[in-house]
This record gives sequence, structure tokens and C-alpha cells, in this order.
Amino acid sequence: MLQPDLVQFIAMGGSQTHNGDEEEGFRGAAEQQVEGNPFTFSPQLLRLHRDHQLFEDGDVFRHMYLQDLFISEAEEQPVPSVSEFGCHISGCRAVFSTLHEYEHHYNSLHRHVCCSCRRSLPSARLLDIHIQEWHDALFTILAQKQDMYLCLVEGCGQKFRTSQQRKDHLIRLHKYPPDFRFDKSRKEKGTREASGEQRTDSAVVAADDVCRSEGVCEVMCGVESNQLEQEESMETHASIEEAAQSEDFSASAQTPETNTERLKPKYSYRVPKTVCFGHGSVRGFRGQRGRRK
Amino acid sequence: MWRLNKVRHKAGGHANSLEELRTKRREKERALRQARRDRQLVSKRLLLNEDEEQDTMEVTPGEQVSFTILYTDFRSPQDVVTLFQKLQHGSTEKEAFLRPLSKALRNPSAQLTFIKLENSMHLLVGLLTGSDARCRLQAVRCLHELSHSPHTSAASACLPATPYLLTYLSGQSTKFTLCLYTLGNICPESEKVKERLLAQGIIPALAGCIQNHRHNLAVVEAAGFALFQLLQSKDAAQKVIPAVLASSLPSQLLSVLTPDPDFGLAPAIECAWCLHSLTSSSEDHGELLAQGALKQCCSLLVSLGGAVADGNTDQGVELLVCPLLRCVGNLLSSCPSEALHSELGGVDLVAPLCELVVALLHTLPALAKETAWVLNNLTAHSTESCSALLTLNLVPRLLELLPFSQGINTMVLRVLANVAHKKKEFCIRLAELGLLSALTATLKMADQNVVTLSLEVLFMMIVSCPQVEQFVSQGGLSVLEAIQYNSDGEVRRRATYLLEQHILTEK
Repeated sequence: MLQPDLVQFIAMGGSQTHNGDEEEGFRGAAEQQVEGNPFTFSPQLLRLHRDHQLFEDGDVFRHMYLQDLFISEAEEQPVPSVSEFGCHISGCRAVFSTLHEYEHHYNSLHRHVCCSCRRSLPSARLLDIHIQEWHDALFTILAQKQDMYLCLVEGCGQKFRTSQQRKDHLIRLHKYPPDFRFDKSRKEKGTREASGEQRTDSAVVAADDVCRSEGVCEVMCGVESNQLEQEESMETHASIEEAAQSEDFSASAQTPETNTERLKPKYSYRVPKTVCFGHGSVRGFRGQRGRRK
Repeated sequence: MWRLNKVRHKAGGHANSLEELRTKRREKERALRQARRDRQLVSKRLLLNEDEEQDTMEVTPGEQVSFTILYTDFRSPQDVVTLFQKLQHGSTEKEAFLRPLSKALRNPSAQLTFIKLENSMHLLVGLLTGSDARCRLQAVRCLHELSHSPHTSAASACLPATPYLLTYLSGQSTKFTLCLYTLGNICPESEKVKERLLAQGIIPALAGCIQNHRHNLAVVEAAGFALFQLLQSKDAAQKVIPAVLASSLPSQLLSVLTPDPDFGLAPAIECAWCLHSLTSSSEDHGELLAQGALKQCCSLLVSLGGAVADGNTDQGVELLVCPLLRCVGNLLSSCPSEALHSELGGVDLVAPLCELVVALLHTLPALAKETAWVLNNLTAHSTESCSALLTLNLVPRLLELLPFSQGINTMVLRVLANVAHKKKEFCIRLAELGLLSALTATLKMADQNVVTLSLEVLFMMIVSCPQVEQFVSQGGLSVLEAIQYNSDGEVRRRATYLLEQHILTEK
């Protein structure tokens, strides 16, 4: 990009050289006077000194010609390079060459993240089920008396008394693999849960500082757990693609509208560097969705 | 000669494969890039003998032939010593020894050997100024070989000859091109050389040369090259450019710009690069603007650009387009906006520039970026140009450029921002043309500059037009929410501001 030390920016002052018609533009707009407006763009004339980096390729081209190394057109053509897409979520450094890959990454990893334990689920539905089964005390109580474990396959609708029974059902009827990644039962979390909890606690405390009264969860997580989840979900993409994809895309189509209706999340600028954000994650606290004015 | 209607490139004889050629070229390119970064980018030119040129013409048609490699004489440095001794002692037949001496001096180590011989340069200068015209010519040839040396000492050794070379430039019968290329080669060698040449009047000499030999385009090309070399010095802005601007050179250079259909592009190329050196090293553009430089460069750019876009151009036309673009870009930055229209003399630049960006994108992306820069300078303070972009339906073409990196999309976003900044109506029109959906893609790019500029454009669009729903329904809302977790503080602030103040309140 343009190196400040070599470029002389000459922002021609608008007020001196323009007539009144132009005041419709942003220079005179009341918007600019709103306090805290961080937007600063104004058109600028860019004068480039001969040593400027922007001129490098053209200069090399010129000197190739002077030294008789000029290429005729039939030879190698330089290919223009295309911008990469980069995951915005701070701490996630993933980069992609196509928009489709970016969307896929984002929807798979950052969209449906559980607020409490920061696990990343591939769809809104699986997230809902996860939250219910892992983090809902009421569910645990009810499950002792009725069939509460819902089959993971959308449309099946069957319920089971234990997660093991559901798992058997998934394997027998729906031909799921026995080690399906998104059907770990709670007790399998084991040590990970313990260490996870510790991190969660400290992270959640910080979050509470910020948005305690709102009843809205601000998701924060350490990089390590994020990566773990990434690995998990990445590996099983192949196996659950068919099942998840249709759910995924339909879910993601819904979420923007539903979320804007319900929530106006508050974000602190004191967010630590590693942050995991999932669009559906605010559903982690289902019962406490409040409406911000 | 460097006539571009017969562009030649190094093939190094029939034995070398195309692959070797490519490798060599890539290495060379890398070396040039590094040299530029070190601010040491300098090239020399070697003018071949007529007999060398003659021989090359007999090659099988279609073969590309090297010059300097094929005809490099790898005789031993000892030959130089022998020839020198013969020249010192014989009184007649000097020319007979000078000719092989000049061939022997093609060899870099022979060059070093020769200059270290006592009185060798003195002898050469003596022959240069002697009464035998053919000897004079051969002496210039020897000096030319020395000037082309990769060794600084060899080139600097030519210093005693410079006053004569300059004097001959205003004469009648010397081979001007040889003198000019020799001077051009030794110019950048050192501060001392450059100051000596300036003191000896190289600038008036060059101006006179072009003026007197205007019809001889080979000479004009050579003079252009010499001037270009002079302008590369680090303190050119203080020591060289004022004198150049005060001379008749600016108008001369402008008069050569339009390429001659028979001779080709080469003289125009040299003069255009001189003009670029003038406009980019110094902020003093008054003289050039007064001479109509902006208008002339623009109209030439338009006609060449049209040819590039149509695909029917001489090889190498980009070598002329590049410096023209740079001149226009920098001259535009000096031109007060109210004078813009008159300075341009009614030349419509907007459409040709847009066509040129698109045409160059796949042949020379670096030039496409420079073209986008010129568009930025054109649209920055000109409502007319921005309006033209809209009415001539050029915006969709600009939007198609947004995927391309290495400076192209950032510059195109600047242009679009310039348009949006002017009027609400422009924003509305831009939204109709699909800018909002293009932004939902650019906001996801890894380059932070792209994201920041996209947010700026988005801000202007959202404030001006009631099309927030369109943006939201295209997934824009979730992108902005994600951006709130970006690692860059400024980016986060902008996204949050947009969401809180404009998008979420709209409901």
C-alpha cells in the first residue's frame, strides 16, 4: 500500500475550490459533526514521487527494455493476483482464496458457537440440541422421567430416554458412524470440561463485567479451545456434509433476521485479542433474552 | 537500434533454449527490483556497429537474435595491450588498429586492462581530437565500449573526453548517436561526472541537438536517453531540473511525444520517460502545464489507450503508456480543480481510463494499478468526472475490478469513494448499480486497507440512501457484526458506529 513517507498527500481543501452545489456532499453534512464519528474519508489527490513503491513494476519494465530484455507479447503474461478473503474474527487467522470458502469457514466455525463451553457446532439445530442437553438443568431433570434425547437427524423426530439409546438409533437407522463428533455425551468431556470450565469462568467473569445486566452473552474464548474445535469440526466435515449442509444453509439464512429482531448485542472495545464469535451463540442463554432499547 | 517495430530480445544464439532465456530474464528482473529498492537502478545502452547489425539481418526469418551476447568478443585482455602498443608507436594505419581495439574493448576485463595502461586514455582522447575523421569515429567507438563497462572505473575513465563529445554534438559530421549514448552511459556513474557534465553545458548541448536534428529520430532517441540518464541523479530536483525547465527542452520533449508511424515508438518513449522524471522528481509543474503538457499527454494517452483496448498495437506501446500515465497522474495533482477542464482542453479522460484499466489488467496488472491511480486523481475533486463515470455506465466495469489485489482494488475503492463523496444522488445511483453487494464481498477480504475503505464507502452510502434493507438482506449485517471482532481498533470502531448509529436504529 501507499507508504506515507514517500507519498505527498495534497488534500485540496474543499471549501476553497468548490462552489456551493457541492455542499451536498459529505463535507458539509451534519453527519461529520456527530460526536464520535470515526469516518474520515475525503477525496485526495495523490502525488507520487518517482521512487514510490507503486512505480516499481513499471520502472523494472522500463529497464528490462533498456537492457534488451523486453518481452514480446507471446511470452509469459503476468497473472493479476486476486485478493484473499480473511476471517475477521480476531485470533482466527484463516485466509481463503474464494468467497465461498470464506463463507463456508465462517458458517462452520464461528456461527454456531456455544456460549458456555465454546464448542463450535455446524448448525443452529445442533447447537440448540447441544445447549439443551449440556447446559440446561431443567433438561437433566426432565430426562429422568421422559424421553428427552432428540434424534439428531432433522425430520426424524424420535426421542429417547438416554443418549446411548439415541446413539444406537443413529447408528442403526441413520447409519451414522459410532464416533460422530457432534454427539459426544456429556460425561465424555471429562478433563477437557474441567479445564474448559476454568477458562470459561475467567472469560465469563470478564464478560459479565461488561454486560451483566443485559442478560446477553458476550462470547469469549481462548485460542486453544477454538483451534481444538476447528480441528474437530474440520475432520468430520466429510462425513456429515450431506446432513449438515442443508441444515447449515437454511439455518444461516434465517439467523440474521431473527437475531436482529431479538437482540442488539453490546460489544466492548475492551474485548481481548482472541475472541470467538458465533451468530447463534447468543442463544446460549435462552431464557434471558432481553430487548435492548 | 531499438526500433520497436522490430522488437528483439536476448536469445543468446541458437543453442540456448527458451527456458534458459526465461530463467535469465527472471533473474534479471529480480536484480532490477532489488536495485530499485536500493535506489541504484541504472541501465546503460550499447550501440552496435553497423557491421554487427548487418550480420544479424541474415538470420533465418522468425529467429530472434541476441546482440551483445553473440558478438561479445572474448579475446584475451592481452590483445588490448598489443594493440595499444601498436597505436602508440605507429604513425600511419592507426585506424587499422583502432577497429580491432574497439572490438576487444567489448570484454570487461580488457576494459580494465586498457585503462590501467599508462597514457592509454590520453592516446584515445588525442585520436578523438585528431585530424583523421575516421580515427575520430573509431576513438568514439572505443570510448563507447568503455562507457558501457560494468566497472565504474572504466566508465569514469572517459571523463577527459566529455568536453569533446559535447562539442561534437553541436557539429556537423560526427556520429551523434554514439556520442550521445556514450554520454548517457557515463552520466550516472558518479556525482563528479555529473557535475562536470553540467558545468560543461550538457543541458544546452542536448537541447541544441534535438532542435537541430529533429528530423533524425535516431538522434532524438539517443538525446532523450542521455537526458533521462541525467535526470536519474539523486539530487536532480535541485541540480538538474531547474536548468532543464529553463531551457527549450520541455517544449522539445513534448513535440517528440507523438510517435512517428515509420520510425516507431522509441524516441517518444525516451522523451516520455524524461517527462515522467521531470514531473515526479519535482513539484514545480508550472512550466510544463504552461506548455500544455497535460493536454498533450492526455490526448496521446487517449489514442494509445484506445489502441491497447482494441488489441491492435505495436509491441511495446505500454512502454509509452506507462510514463504518460504517470505524467498525467502527477500533473493532475498540481492542477487546481477549477482549471482542470480547461487544462484538459476538453479531452474526455474518464472513459478511456476505465477501458485502459480493464485492458491492462490481464497483460500488465502493474499498469492497471497506475491507471486506477490516475482515475483517483481525476475524480478526487471533479464532480463532472464522477458524473461521467455514472452516466457513461462505467461503474459496473469498476466493480469487476474489485476482486483484484496488489493495490488495484484499494485504488478502485478510492475512486468509488470519490464518487460517493460528491452527492447523495450519486450514492443512490451507485447503490442501484450494485455497489452494496460488491461491498459485502470486499468487507470480507484479508487486506485491512480494503476493509477500511469499504467501510468508508459503506458509511457514505448508508447515510445518503435509504437502502439499508438491501444491504442487510444481502448478509451485510452479519459481516459488520463479525468485523466488530477484527483485530484492528479503527476497523472495529467504524463497524460498531455504523451498526449502532445507522443500521440497527433504522428499524
